[in-house]
Amino acid sequence: MSAVARRTSALLKILATAALLFALLIYILYAANLMNFPFDYDHGEGLEVQASVMFSRGELPYRDVEVYPFYASPYAPLFHIMAAPFARVFGPAYWYGRLLGFLGSLVCAAAIAYAVYRDGKRNRWIAILSGLAFLSSNFVYHIGPLYRQHMMMVTLETIAIVLLAGAFPRRDRRGIAVALFLLICAGYTKQLAAISAIAAIIWMTLRSPRRAIAWTLAFALAGSAIFAWLTLVSGGQWWIHAIVANVRVFILEQATGLVLLWFKLHGFLLIPAILLLIYETYIERLSLYSIWFVAAALLGGVGSGLWGAGDSYLVTSLSSMCILSGILFSRMTAGALTLPRILPFPKASAAAVLLIPLLYIGYARATLKMPTDGVFASIASLLAVEGNVRETFYDSATFSVGGYARIGYFLTEADLRAGYEIVDRIKQTAAPTMSEDFGFPIVAERDAVTNATQLRILHLVGLFEGDTLIGMIEGQDFGLVILRALFYPPPVLEALGRFYEHQESVHMNGFDYLILYPKDLDSN
Amino acid sequence: MDRQEFTVTKRQLGIFLALLGAVGFLALLAIDIVDIGRQGGIGPAQGLALALMAATVIIGLTLIPLGDAPA
Repeated sequence: MSAVARRTSALLKILATAALLFALLIYILYAANLMNFPFDYDHGEGLEVQASVMFSRGELPYRDVEVYPFYASPYAPLFHIMAAPFARVFGPAYWYGRLLGFLGSLVCAAAIAYAVYRDGKRNRWIAILSGLAFLSSNFVYHIGPLYRQHMMMVTLETIAIVLLAGAFPRRDRRGIAVALFLLICAGYTKQLAAISAIAAIIWMTLRSPRRAIAWTLAFALAGSAIFAWLTLVSGGQWWIHAIVANVRVFILEQATGLVLLWFKLHGFLLIPAILLLIYETYIERLSLYSIWFVAAALLGGVGSGLWGAGDSYLVTSLSSMCILSGILFSRMTAGALTLPRILPFPKASAAAVLLIPLLYIGYARATLKMPTDGVFASIASLLAVEGNVRETFYDSATFSVGGYARIGYFLTEADLRAGYEIVDRIKQTAAPTMSEDFGFPIVAERDAVTNATQLRILHLVGLFEGDTLIGMIEGQDFGLVILRALFYPPPVLEALGRFYEHQESVHMNGFDYLILYPKDLDSN
Repeated sequence: MDRQEFTVTKRQLGIFLALLGAVGFLALLAIDIVDIGRQGGIGPAQGLALALMAATVIIGLTLIPLGDAPA
């Protein structure tokens, strides 16, 4: 390689590293911003806080929604159990769950970097950039520091897959057992990890059908035993909330929109990942990462179209994409690909040192999201970007695709003040408050009542009558009702319309929270 | 020393994928035959699934000539 090419390569490497480190800086600042916000940022976070609070009291959150407080969790328990010791010490709050999610994403990036280093050709720089690329993704960025179980599931399944990819060919029984145990943990963090389990079983079967059957039986037995135990101790409520209430409508436009967005944002690394998949399919052996990538992209893509799902369903595919592209780049750099003679591989190896940093720079630009005000104004101007999803926030994904979480911007003092304004309203009444978001009653130290989305889904499948809740609404037992997205089942919303009236709205976090008070029925 | 263990070959994987794709393709078409009252012919989701099954058949067929190389 000429001196000019060497210098150009070094400069491009510095630029690529700086671009992905900048993305990491924005991610850290966003996470810190969220951890200081004591209310719901993404709808549903408070429901998960409540699950942790119940576990910290030794109670199960899988319960009968026909009785007060009409709350049940539809989620698997592990993430909430992890947060339960914090709930016990610090009481109900959002920061520790967000911290766990954020730390989980960093651990996931480290696992990706380790896999690329170990299974590539021990190229440190590419390994580190593979991990940073994961954190730079728009999909990872906005769900990582939330009080949601999704990122922890991706972290656990990534560690499991990386462990299994090393342990199974070596017949390392302890390594395989730990990997499968972590896959079960991922499944009991969020049910979606079943996709990774399917990929692991397919890959083990290709490698050694006999051993795969034995391990799969043990795996299925352990997973089923936990499932049966949860169903038993919850009196069947776990089955209702985690399985029956997870049947949702499929929206094709949402799925296709999200898959196209997934490709548009991550194409710079998706194409190399697909190239390695093709290479392994026809020239070498299929790695676990390739099968995991196909399963996560196909099934995650379909799953992303379900009502209430979204871009987060494709995050697992991004973890495998970062590993596959990193391994391909490492092997290209080391000249360790065995291509047919008709392909110009020897030249490709030399070109790789220029191409690889360029691809990471392109990826960093495609996934760019950043504030455009304050200290970032000059950088935004340099990069020629301006606020597109909010006045002071740029997101390359835009907010135009259905199912893409419309979050990621930083919260302001005004949002905080608005949240406390609603808390003040709650404190002015001694009666319970019915709120779609739990942050307000939590800060006001009141009961968290109802789970709007869960009640809606249960109503749709004929498992929620709501007589007691509607009776309380008709009796005007709630001093205040706070609505954000009107997710409650129609009969509940109708009862609210008859017995409560909208008196004011408070704007917080981009949403208008509707504050309803009991109607004066005597005057009618 | 490790015992030689049975692993799936590219040919076997190819045959499996070709059969899976073909059966899946026919089953998806059969939806319209079995569910006679259904309106509108092949819908967009069904079309996508059919394309996926066709691609599975093609990938399977291209793997068969690769013989006993491990999958």
